[in-house]
Amino acid sequence: MTESELSELAKHIHDARKPLNRISMQAELVKMALNGDVPTDKAIDALDKIITSTKDCSDALTGLMSALSESPSE
Amino acid sequence: MLTVLLVDDDPEFTDVACTIIEFLGHEVLTAANLAEARDWLKKETFDHILLDFMLPDGSGAHLFDELELLAKRPRVTLITGHPSVRGIIKDLCGPNIDYLVKPIQREEIEAVLSGKKDGKASEEEPPAITRHFEHLIGESAPMQELYKLIERVSKTSANVMLLGESGVGKEVVAAAIHQASDVEGPYIATNCGAFSKELIGSELFGHEKGAFTGAVGRKDGVFEQAEGGTLFLDEITEMPIDMQPNLLRVLENKVVIRVGGSKTIPVNCRVVSATNRNMEEIAQSKVLREDIYFRLAVFPITIPTLRERKEDIPLLATHFINELNAENGTGFMWQDTQLETLQAYDWPGNVRELRHFVHRAAIMSDPEKSNIELPKSIESPFAKKQSTTPALQAGRTIEDVEKELIFATLEKVNGNKTMAAEMLGISTKTLYNRLHAYGEISKDD
Repeated sequence: MTESELSELAKHIHDARKPLNRISMQAELVKMALNGDVPTDKAIDALDKIITSTKDCSDALTGLMSALSESPSE
Repeated sequence: MLTVLLVDDDPEFTDVACTIIEFLGHEVLTAANLAEARDWLKKETFDHILLDFMLPDGSGAHLFDELELLAKRPRVTLITGHPSVRGIIKDLCGPNIDYLVKPIQREEIEAVLSGKKDGKASEEEPPAITRHFEHLIGESAPMQELYKLIERVSKTSANVMLLGESGVGKEVVAAAIHQASDVEGPYIATNCGAFSKELIGSELFGHEKGAFTGAVGRKDGVFEQAEGGTLFLDEITEMPIDMQPNLLRVLENKVVIRVGGSKTIPVNCRVVSATNRNMEEIAQSKVLREDIYFRLAVFPITIPTLRERKEDIPLLATHFINELNAENGTGFMWQDTQLETLQAYDWPGNVRELRHFVHRAAIMSDPEKSNIELPKSIESPFAKKQSTTPALQAGRTIEDVEKELIFATLEKVNGNKTMAAEMLGISTKTLYNRLHAYGEISKDD
């Protein structure tokens, strides 16, 4: 794998990790809402965002896959 | 309360992180890039900066030099996407920086802000000694094998016979099997060698009131007490042979009849029995009826001796000294060389001997100090003398061994050749001939 391919790969992985981090944080928010630390409607909002993030993550992985298949094979 | 600056280009993340940090009782301001962060640093003083490593206008590391010039240097925690970045940053900026690796959890934010993460890394406690099945200590290969057997048999209700030398911890293994089995009943232990012939029936099967002189009340036997649990019968081979048919009947029919009673009482428990004789000995010495053996030893387990798992000796010695420290409020600690000494010994009395030895050493040592005084030599009256010369080994000639035997016998009887010949089962003449051949005595003798 060449240097440029490697940085391309790193970019895609960064894109995939970003929604994962959002999911993790939103899940913490849901936990807090269930504990009564923040209003309950925040939890609904957070869960919607989690669902959106899973799609984003999936898209990022698809992008990664197509980037890998487009890269010239050696 | 801390004033925190959160620098990250993902607004959704900063939004939630702010909620969490504020909930933790801190004040938090956010920046989406380096430029915004620099702005804040001019206007405010911060106690802590949470800094993303990759920002749209450059790496978070660019801020480090600027932070150095501030009157009050904030603590810095870098947020990175990849664990491997940690190593690189550590080289760049020294060890005084915390890291958060995405995806981040609330506890991690809490830890870096309270500074606890630092402490945890620097003064890590020595790893606690694992007690397998809450009872057994040892990580050696023979013990791993034993754990596997316990794991397997605990899933079944099969009767287990534990074989092993005195002091290897048969009762501890029995308790471990009980622990590993998911049973509701209790663990009951009894020693078959501890009861007279008359009393063992009552101990095992119970008795009715007035069954014999002194039976003033009704008594449940251990089989009944262990209902739904585990019954440990220690020294099973010491049980009088004429009591064994009674035991067999219980094992086969799963019912007991109390001494002096007539009602059959159903019993249901796993029987774990133990003996310090090995299988050949059991078979030859006829201390246990064959039919009983097969009932009890559905799953025989041989427990390794301590000399077969010498690598566990430091672990066990440490555990025993920790126990004594907790009991007596002392702070004894082993030195590496002492543990090596313990490891070099063969421990014929196994773990029991080691425990006894550690106890004795702790009593001998000054309770004000941490140093443990080891006696000059490790020996117990029960230990077989460890010969310094190797015992019988393949490859030695019969002549050699014969010669050694003759000299050892002569030494024993102070050179009395008639007695030596008698002990060796040869005629005095033969003994003289041998000694001549060895050049030990001249013809004149």
